[in-house]
Amino acid sequence: MKNDNINHAAAAAAFLQDREQARWHDSAIWWVRQKRDMQAKQLPEWEQLRALAQQIKAHTLSRLDDYLQQFQANAEKNGVTVHWAADADEHNRIVHGILAAEGVKKLVKSKSMLTEECGLNPYLEQHGIEVIDTDLGERIVQLRQEPPSHIVMPAIHLKKEQISELFHRELGTEAGNNDPTYLTHAARANLREHFLTADAGLTGVNFAIAETGGVVVCTNEGNADLGTALPPIHIASMGLEKIIPRLEHLGVFTRLLARSAIGSPITTYTSHFHRARPGGQMHIVIVDNGRSDILGNDDFYQSLRCIRCGACMNTCPVYRRSTGHSYSYIIPGPIGSTLGPSRDIKKHGSMAFACTTCGSCSNVCPVKINLHEQLVLQRKRAFDAGTLKPAKKMGLLAMRFLTQHPSLMDAGGKVMRKVVPIVPDSLTRHSAWSRPGRALPEMPEQSFKEMWQARQEKKS
Amino acid sequence: MSSREQILARLRQNRPQGPALPDIDAVPFITFDDKFDAFRTLVRNLGGDAVQLADGDSVLGVVQQRWPQHGRLVDLTVENHEESPSPHAWHDVDVAIVPGELAVAESAAVWVSHADNQWRSIYFLTQKLVLVVPRDAIVDTMRDAYRRIAIREQGFGGFISGSSRTADIEQSLVMGAHGAMAALVVFV
Amino acid sequence: MKVALFIPCFVNDLYPHVAMATAELLEGYGVDVHYPLAQSCCGQPLSNNGDSQGACDAARRFTGIFKDYDYVVSPSGSCTAHVKHHYPWYIADNADYQALQPRIYEIVEFLQDVLKVEKLPKPVYFPHTVSIHQSCHGLRELGHAAPSELMIPYHSRLERILQLVDGIEIKQPERRDECCGFGGTFSVDEPEVSVAMGEDRVAQHEATGAQYIVGADPSCLMHMGGIIRHRCRPIRPLHIVEILTGRGGAA
Repeated sequence: MKNDNINHAAAAAAFLQDREQARWHDSAIWWVRQKRDMQAKQLPEWEQLRALAQQIKAHTLSRLDDYLQQFQANAEKNGVTVHWAADADEHNRIVHGILAAEGVKKLVKSKSMLTEECGLNPYLEQHGIEVIDTDLGERIVQLRQEPPSHIVMPAIHLKKEQISELFHRELGTEAGNNDPTYLTHAARANLREHFLTADAGLTGVNFAIAETGGVVVCTNEGNADLGTALPPIHIASMGLEKIIPRLEHLGVFTRLLARSAIGSPITTYTSHFHRARPGGQMHIVIVDNGRSDILGNDDFYQSLRCIRCGACMNTCPVYRRSTGHSYSYIIPGPIGSTLGPSRDIKKHGSMAFACTTCGSCSNVCPVKINLHEQLVLQRKRAFDAGTLKPAKKMGLLAMRFLTQHPSLMDAGGKVMRKVVPIVPDSLTRHSAWSRPGRALPEMPEQSFKEMWQARQEKKS
Repeated sequence: MSSREQILARLRQNRPQGPALPDIDAVPFITFDDKFDAFRTLVRNLGGDAVQLADGDSVLGVVQQRWPQHGRLVDLTVENHEESPSPHAWHDVDVAIVPGELAVAESAAVWVSHADNQWRSIYFLTQKLVLVVPRDAIVDTMRDAYRRIAIREQGFGGFISGSSRTADIEQSLVMGAHGAMAALVVFV
Repeated sequence: MKVALFIPCFVNDLYPHVAMATAELLEGYGVDVHYPLAQSCCGQPLSNNGDSQGACDAARRFTGIFKDYDYVVSPSGSCTAHVKHHYPWYIADNADYQALQPRIYEIVEFLQDVLKVEKLPKPVYFPHTVSIHQSCHGLRELGHAAPSELMIPYHSRLERILQLVDGIEIKQPERRDECCGFGGTFSVDEPEVSVAMGEDRVAQHEATGAQYIVGADPSCLMHMGGIIRHRCRPIRPLHIVEILTGRGGAA
């Protein structure tokens, strides 16, 4: 679980103290953005593909209740049990109920941001169930007892030395062996044992197909497949916005997802689950947890189109220079900075300000969510909810007043131009503008208005 | 009122306006002059390889040549193949030769499925995965692929593209995360 | 043709020579340039910080001041983008605004799309290397160039108009359109991230070997300029109108 009192500016400033690590983080993630560009460039239809994805999702959102009912009916025809959870707590209780009924002691999980959102792991652990995250990055952050810092690359904030140390302590790998191949294969061997001894497997859902009643899970590692092919019980937890109307629509979304997320044409495994194995059980838990409220908000319902590719994080210049751990909501970066404030404006409203409004996120988004505009609109909610710091609020009200009274603004500008050049550096050095290494602009003699008026007088 | 009814009622009440479903066939998608070549180029970057079986060669022969020192080999493409008492019993398989129904040029993916879900673990437990695909069963894009697969009758089906991999440690690409360390696609 | 200059508040106070160059450039093409003295801030800082009441009042005020001119032209991509694309959040139904909106232009757009200029008013010789700073709002909201994220044919308004300058060499920085980190009040709300972004951006411009960073948004240039001054680097930020009027780095 994440500490939701995190203040982005302060956490980011702390992260930037180690400039070398921060540079590495920035360039490692920028490389993923570049891989995405290379993949996208290879498809002449890329922009049309994004438009198709947007339209399919927009259509689906306009009839979400119909498609979910269709999905449930078809899943039940396939012998799958469908559950509905209004909130995180109900989701956790349903999952625990399924596991408890079968006496499950060990659960293997593949990556699911929804279960992070719901806080499933601590809930199950409190009830005596061993939970093993099996995605390598998720396993790393689980062993470190920290939240993922990225929705696709959960451990991207860590250096291999840190992981080597962790694995030495937790898995008994050689001290000082930092080779990623060695470390990955050590985790492989360790997690194989867990896969072979687990009583149940839980996966997230990338897409749920209304027409067939099945769910699709995409991984590169194969952990979702091992976790569902070995234990007899498969639980798939899905946010209710994961629905797509028809099977053929996967022909659009599977083309966009991995290209956007990691710069691969597709994930290694794109697995379609429609029935339980003979003698086994398959459950699907459909979770609302605030989504139906977002659907009713004209400014933000488009965020429900999200397919969780993480491309917006990879392109975000602020995210790359601050890590996911600087954001208070479990989903960081641009999409998290609209979903978090939608969930709780008081807790997460400040995330919407961790953004220069550069707009790159909206352009990489495979379903064309107007992310950077949503962040500005979330700021309006933060302002209205009274969550701005008093000094900032005062400044804005002063600005509001000056905007309506240009003569006062002119007078202020005049004072600034006269005073700033004679103020000793020691007084401005600690201002927010100058503190991190940025000089004040040079002050001209006159404003443009003064120059213009003088020029007009000379003319006449 | 149950959670289901509550959720559906809220979704109904909060319905936004939306467009009609688009015709996904209205957009021309990429095509390849030589689909096999595109597939092979791609799969080689994804920890795999692809070959076209030459006249007189056998899949088993290709496998023996590539991995002469292999361990337990299971060939599911032959009739009366080995059965497993449990999904777990495949855990020591070194080479699995499995039928692949359809290959996709743009993604180097192969569709695998089986009506008997019980033994699908072999695809993911094996160290080396050999997918045997009919030579003419190769399409350009995922859109074409989804048109050719009948999914509902099958409990499980999936696309597999290359070998299992991860870049979760410092973005260094490592083959063999949990599933097969190597993948070979043989077009027959 | 009566053209009103829309000079953003900080440009009025801090970069008067950029505003004057804009006026002179337009006059050089025979345009009847006006500067409505009642103008103030367009309200973007208010909007970007969620003060919708303040932003709405500013939008109404702006519309009242500028509605009777044939065109409104500004030397700031960001402020133009706010007025042109975000005012509808506040005053979409305002008939005066609806009539005004299509007549609002950023200076380079105005030169290229309305005046359709093919040469500069007077020849300019600028024998220097410049690195193009493609500011975000000009790029992604006004469409000044093909953003690197979109798979569309490449174009760039700034490069196209700089072709009219003699002797100039034009370069692109690595990561051709990454944000410089200014972001309005972001620059003081998150100063460490803002400056880290700006330092990276300046380094990328320097790596092209350019003597000047040229852009169409004074705010980004102010931010990068502050970092350059703090670090005593030789590269200089320039607004594109300073080059197009032949003022160059002299102003």
